[in-house]
Amino acid sequence: VPQTEPRAALPAVESARWLDEALGDPADPGTVLSYMRCAELERIGEFPTEICAELDRLGLPRHYVPVAYGGALAAYDEVFHLMRVLAGRDLTAAIAHGKTFLGAASVWVAGAPDQRVALAREILSGAPVSWGLTERDHGSDLLAGEVTAVATPDGYRIDGEKWLVNNATHGRFVCVLARTDPKGGPRGFSLLLADKHALDPDRFRCLPKVPTHGIRAADISGIAFDQATVPPGALVGPVGGGIEIVLKSFQLTRTAAGALSLGAADHAFGLTVDFLGDRVMYRRRLLDLPKVRADLGEAYGLLFAAETLGWYGCRAIHTQPEEMSVLSSVTKYLVPTFVDEILGRLGDLLGIRAYLADYADGRFARLERDHRIVGIFDGSTFVNQNLLINQFPALARGYRRGDPAAGAAVGLAAALAQPLPPADLGRLSLAARSCGLTSALASAVAEVGATSDAPTAVAALAAQLLVATDAVHEEMAGLSHSARAVPPEAFDLAHRYALCVAGAASLQVWLRNRSVPPFAGSTLWKDARWLRAALVSIVDRLPGRRLDRSTVYTELVDAVLVDAPDGRASLIPTRSAGAAR
Amino acid sequence: MNALEQRFGDPWDEQNPVGYRAIMAADELQTTPAAGERLLSEYGLGAEFVPTELGGRLDRLDRLVTVLRAVCRRDLALTLANASPFIAAVNVWTAGRTDQRHRVAELLLAGERVAALYHELAHGNDLMSADFVARPAADGRLLLTGRKEVIANVQRAAALIVFARTSDAPGQRSHSQLLLDKASTALDPAAYLPRFRTSGLRGVPLSGIDVRDFPVGADAVVGRVGAGLETVLRSFQLTRLVFAGSAIGALDAGLRTALRFARERRLYGRTALDLPMVRATLRDAFVDLLISDCLSTAATRAVHLLPSQVSAYSWATKLLVPKLLMDAMNRLSRILGAHFYIREGRYAIFGKHLRDLPPVVFGHASRAVCQLALLAELPRLARRAWASTVEPPAALFRQDAGLPPLDFTALSVSASGDALLAGLTTSGPPAVRPLLDRFVAESAALRADCLALGPRDVSMAASPAAFALTTRYATLLAASAALNMWRHSTDPFLHDPAWLEAALRRLGNGIGLDLPGPTGSTHERITTELIDRYDTRRGLDLAAAPIAG
Repeated sequence: VPQTEPRAALPAVESARWLDEALGDPADPGTVLSYMRCAELERIGEFPTEICAELDRLGLPRHYVPVAYGGALAAYDEVFHLMRVLAGRDLTAAIAHGKTFLGAASVWVAGAPDQRVALAREILSGAPVSWGLTERDHGSDLLAGEVTAVATPDGYRIDGEKWLVNNATHGRFVCVLARTDPKGGPRGFSLLLADKHALDPDRFRCLPKVPTHGIRAADISGIAFDQATVPPGALVGPVGGGIEIVLKSFQLTRTAAGALSLGAADHAFGLTVDFLGDRVMYRRRLLDLPKVRADLGEAYGLLFAAETLGWYGCRAIHTQPEEMSVLSSVTKYLVPTFVDEILGRLGDLLGIRAYLADYADGRFARLERDHRIVGIFDGSTFVNQNLLINQFPALARGYRRGDPAAGAAVGLAAALAQPLPPADLGRLSLAARSCGLTSALASAVAEVGATSDAPTAVAALAAQLLVATDAVHEEMAGLSHSARAVPPEAFDLAHRYALCVAGAASLQVWLRNRSVPPFAGSTLWKDARWLRAALVSIVDRLPGRRLDRSTVYTELVDAVLVDAPDGRASLIPTRSAGAAR
Repeated sequence: MNALEQRFGDPWDEQNPVGYRAIMAADELQTTPAAGERLLSEYGLGAEFVPTELGGRLDRLDRLVTVLRAVCRRDLALTLANASPFIAAVNVWTAGRTDQRHRVAELLLAGERVAALYHELAHGNDLMSADFVARPAADGRLLLTGRKEVIANVQRAAALIVFARTSDAPGQRSHSQLLLDKASTALDPAAYLPRFRTSGLRGVPLSGIDVRDFPVGADAVVGRVGAGLETVLRSFQLTRLVFAGSAIGALDAGLRTALRFARERRLYGRTALDLPMVRATLRDAFVDLLISDCLSTAATRAVHLLPSQVSAYSWATKLLVPKLLMDAMNRLSRILGAHFYIREGRYAIFGKHLRDLPPVVFGHASRAVCQLALLAELPRLARRAWASTVEPPAALFRQDAGLPPLDFTALSVSASGDALLAGLTTSGPPAVRPLLDRFVAESAALRADCLALGPRDVSMAASPAAFALTTRYATLLAASAALNMWRHSTDPFLHDPAWLEAALRRLGNGIGLDLPGPTGSTHERITTELIDRYDTRRGLDLAAAPIAG
């Protein structure tokens, strides 16, 4: 039975719906962004120029530009949902077009007012912006960067090579991290926004496309500067501020990147549910086998945990910017990790069809290949775990200290239908003093215990989560090591910490929305079905004996198939439109 | 160094026509390196699949695994393109007439391929539902109708083994296997399906056939009419073991590539290998490789020593080893960062192995199929076998010990004993005894849980908890294999409990056992061994034999 009501009033969801409808039916080869065309572009390794032009025509770049500078970016969760819709059709297209959001972030974080307005104008007229951070020999070690920028009377002279840069060739602007102090160090680098149209063409060249396993149609290349001069106004933020600005910008981009993973998961769920519903083996429909349902349900449990975390994280940019150093790393670490796991499970369920290029335009294999990049760019899994580990002492202290005021900000971030205050990026910080979600966990658990509409299973899971969170913080406080020799145990602890944060986010989001439209009354929210599955999937990944809680997963699948018969499920009831066609 | 490894030469040598660079170049063209095909042909890989009494070199299954492991270390596509005839051949050795055996042996010894036509897309691994049909015609011949899909080498093979329905009745006696010799029964070129393009194994020519009333002689039937499925249930015990055990070569190569990268990459002022997390990730992958080889080796040697028990070991190996390999590769990919994603350059082979491994290891039998088959064996094993305390023969674990001849007819459709699980005892080095206590307790718990299973609990409609029993069982088998490898090894590293402790902990954590005590302080011993083997060009598996690089 298709649900007609309630219609969501959430602006973030509304614009996602708009994009979904505007993009048309991807199964129709006549659509610009069709599955067939994406498969062909991948096969020949050609940039999705027409698709990007269509996205420009639809006005997607407006959503990369804050309202203050003439764009439509009022709330970061809106970009998140838009990117999820796009990635749900084709991850390569999302990465190719969405790069501008990443490339421009540093200017919103630290640029001069006129610089912001100027860049905004260019983006709104369709100029792609790229972000030149990494170099051939240094990967994630930005402090080892060898590209230099020397102040001259005309501005800055840039030398050296940025490599493995998304849209380095197609982008008109490249925001380049360059060494401005030969000694390097955290204050030894600066950011320069280079306009390739204004550069002397003899002083730079774009490097050849790098052949990659996935996102084959994307422009993964590089740019080499040979005494290229940029004007003084190209400097973003203060001299020596490059590393700090990049790290703060990462807090936005790493959080939003979760949308790419979720889109890939949506796409994979759609394909898998379609297959399982049709497929008969051993004289039963696969979708009706308990084991298949439980595996599918566990994947959905992970999806909802990931969705809650990503969505909450984007809203927290507005409500708790000071904490984004924690939330962004938790999100960038956990969401792609969960989605990798989801794709592994769904691939198992699809069997050989997961690998056949001619089954469903080879979409599963392609999205699986494409998705592997999400765990790498803008700070890999290890890098994000390390960033959390660096904050352990402060986080442990913050947890012990407690924060009675945390509940209000957490509550606002978690109340998905509540309007958000404008994001004040000046409040972003490199080191959080605490994490509101964990600080408010004990009271959330108490609230769940006292809530009449929370099934007892939820209260028990919540209590278990709190015990685990206490233990994690105790271990974090007790951990001592040098910054140069971080022990593997710390990485395991970072993993568990991230799980606890994700669990806390799920709990908060359920508490703040369960009786609010459009969530209240939908099958997924009834009896806290999605929450139970999300919590079980998290608690089962924490130490301790696993119980057989597969009925939680099979019941979740029952609910998913009511709310989203096409398998593309979300916390938002009846989200999918185009995908269902 | 074994002869094949010697022929292959240094994989890192960019001039080597069967080196990683050439393999990546061939992959770009969706093929396998021509020099590799030539090399395997000159080496006479086909002879490795032919029993000695038929003129080949197949006397020990563990030797075949060693040979194919070397091919897997290079290129999984090259492996599948050249080793898939083994799948067809084993069925003929198991059930074929003398003339059929001689003919297939003759073809393989001449370097020809025999294709194995079992798979139909509509039925996947559910062979009992196969629709491809062989109907008797009035003249006594059989008329073949139907499709076989995603089959390696079907076009270039000299002969085909086809799994076909010979009775409309449901059940296990309704299928037969047919041997089609193209020399006498050539297929119309139009019968071949277009190539299936795949995301992994791009170099393997995968195709199929689509025929309608295609006549073959009644003498094409391999073994008795109606015995097709039973033959498969026996012969695939061997092929599953051989492919799972060989695939360990891919992790060997992946681990080597990640170690190479970690040494060459400078991060934060030193090499990546100096970072404790990188070391731990490499070490864990090495331990997973050793665990995989322990189970694989014991199960493979059991084909000679305990053939009537192999059915369960084979399913368990196919269930556990591919998962260990894939998970380890995925974790190693984090060391390489973006470099595992790039299809060119010094470390590109890692991404290819990572991509090719899933279709190799899951192609032959999916996880669900392994679990279901194993689940069906567990209640009977729990009732009849697990109460016994007959310990496994030492020769199961001693790679230098001789083996009785391979007897294809001694295999049993389902396992009738379980010496390997009986080998899981509490007697081990003091450092791991508390761990072994937990494993032995888990073994008792598993038995109780399996005894409680009803007939409905072992069908496809079984509960997730019932399915989970199979993973617990496979894990306990692996623990026993590791313990006994330690016990019987004379190698200074393998007889040191350091790796055993790490292996037991990794296995225990995998099934949620709450293991006592802190993790060992002897980890560095394992890492040192890994690096030493890499530096001295030795394999990372139990044999640690010299390799070309």
